[in-house]
Amino acid sequence: MKATLEVINQMQADGVIGEYAIGGAVGATFYLEPSATLDVDIFVALPTGRGGLLSLSPIYEYLKARGCAEKDEHIVIGEWPVQFLAPRDALEEEAIAEAVVASVEGVETRVMPAEHLVAISLRTGRAKDHARIVQFIEQGAVDRKRLRTLLERHGLLPKWTLFETSYLGGGRG
Amino acid sequence: MRKRLAALSFTEKIKILEKLRDRERAIAASGLRKRAEPGANNKAAKESRK
Repeated sequence: MKATLEVINQMQADGVIGEYAIGGAVGATFYLEPSATLDVDIFVALPTGRGGLLSLSPIYEYLKARGCAEKDEHIVIGEWPVQFLAPRDALEEEAIAEAVVASVEGVETRVMPAEHLVAISLRTGRAKDHARIVQFIEQGAVDRKRLRTLLERHGLLPKWTLFETSYLGGGRG
Repeated sequence: MRKRLAALSFTEKIKILEKLRDRERAIAASGLRKRAEPGANNKAAKESRK
């Protein structure tokens, strides 16, 4: 992972990407116990290209020029398949902007805040996302008040209420 | 145990993630998971009912 993050940081220093934040299972691992995953999700703010279009192509071109290989929707950096994701809405943009600074083997990186990871998992809504939310709640790894404010701001409170009723015994926060 | 794992540094957790990832890859490469899927679970369930 160290080598992977060094390349991503260099890509940022070279202006190929703006701020970034690790999300998904690797991001959740910053707050919880490790859970198996085969890839790394990197949410990136992309510099606007010609004509105002946002594209992941410069990332792929940059990395392929440095010997990284494409594999399905991933590009392999070091030993990790990495998926670069442009933020699709205000929630994901905020998750990048408010990312927490972390360190892996002395290499600085940024991880989405716990509350944003929970909100994105709630919105995505697969079984594994629900399981992850339960982990965050059970382990007290999320600030419930901050989460509620965030969910309200992004229109996710109705979904949260349903989730609470189904998985958390209802109405606890 | 979960609390102890959650309390590890990010570096230590990433090392565990890498081991888990390598194990997943090894299992996928061996084809074990595919062979174990449909019949094995049903057989185990039947055995447990006996």
